[in-house]
Amino acid sequence: MQEQNKGPGGDAICSQYANDPDMVEIVELFVRELPKRLCSLREAFEQDNHDSLRTLSHQLKGSAPGYGFPSIGRLAGRLEATLREPDASQDAVRGQLEDLIALCERARVS
Amino acid sequence: MNSTGQHERQRVPVVLLIDDCEDVHRLLKTRLRFEAFEIAASLSGAEGLELVHKIKPAIILLDLDMPEMDGFEVLRRLKDDPEASDIPVLVISGMHSPHDKVTAFDLGAVDYITKPFDLTELRMRVRSAMRMRQLVLMLAQKAQIDGLTGLWNRAYFDRRWSNETSRIKRYDGALSLALLDLDHFKAINDTYGHPAGDEVLQTFAHQMLQEIRQSDVACRYGGEEFAIIMPDTAPEHARTVCERIRVRLEETVWPRHPNRPLTVSVGIVGTSGMTTMTSKRWLEQVDNLLYRAKSEGRNRVCTADVTMRPPRIADAG
Repeated sequence: MQEQNKGPGGDAICSQYANDPDMVEIVELFVRELPKRLCSLREAFEQDNHDSLRTLSHQLKGSAPGYGFPSIGRLAGRLEATLREPDASQDAVRGQLEDLIALCERARVS
Repeated sequence: MNSTGQHERQRVPVVLLIDDCEDVHRLLKTRLRFEAFEIAASLSGAEGLELVHKIKPAIILLDLDMPEMDGFEVLRRLKDDPEASDIPVLVISGMHSPHDKVTAFDLGAVDYITKPFDLTELRMRVRSAMRMRQLVLMLAQKAQIDGLTGLWNRAYFDRRWSNETSRIKRYDGALSLALLDLDHFKAINDTYGHPAGDEVLQTFAHQMLQEIRQSDVACRYGGEEFAIIMPDTAPEHARTVCERIRVRLEETVWPRHPNRPLTVSVGIVGTSGMTTMTSKRWLEQVDNLLYRAKSEGRNRVCTADVTMRPPRIADAG
């Protein structure tokens, strides 16, 4: 479903709703605000604030598919699940966070 | 006819979304913007509960996983609140376990939609909940209406009367109550048959509705007895209205028994401001006045004004 475009940092991932006139505006808004979210995620990780990290990933899990980015939703969901484990290792969290951030950086409207 | 029913017809229904994630607000507002309802949104459970009272939503979409007050707690409070307990709640949640679903349904949710949700499916589920709600409202209203006359029934009267009396205790408004009893009605049934009696009841109900104001509440109190609750109405005004009803009935010529006119006796108790009367005592006093109208010769209106001074009784023929 997703078109693949070449872009910096790997193939771009595009919203499933790129051609939906109802959605374009809010998808653009989502993509534009993504870097801000990634900053918050990084910050929370650096401050070792797992609560905040979990909330942020939880929200991304719920919302990204709505904007046409199910793959971002899946990675966010994986990170949230890991954070819910009582003995989650910092390395596992870091690895999944990096994956999520890398994927988000490839998100484009179309 | 009842105030809720009237509101429903007059304004676009509001769907209240309670979700701590702004994206969900944005997505729903975009995806549901062409539906036949408005969307109000709140980012926390506490704020959502406040909004429920302000906007009286038709349906609530509720997230479960929220910081501070979670959705289960919001649901619990909604169901404990008599003003909100009838509002259908659709849960939208990222929590997928059967245990969470069962808990939500146990607490009174009507539907459970898992996140990430498909927006077309969500739209259909909201529509379906809207339809169901319309039917429930219709049934609830039917259960409060008298089948023969179409007026409110006794059960509705009892509840409404108690609400109106407690309302004026808080706001010191005017309020009048009239009880109307058809004179010698039994003889109509006995002489001309029940269809003739039914026709009298229906015609009289219709005449009452034409004479009263939109805000007045006409009820069939039982048998040939009727009640009119008149909010914001001082007793002298209630008396004018009931006089009109009395005269109109007296002048009616009945096709089935043109030589047998009907009359009505009426008792009214009202206040134009403060009163300390309880709803029960008030009703007893109206009943006494009705009895008095009967014993003084029927076809008359007896009125008492109970505005924070000793009751003054006035009557007229």
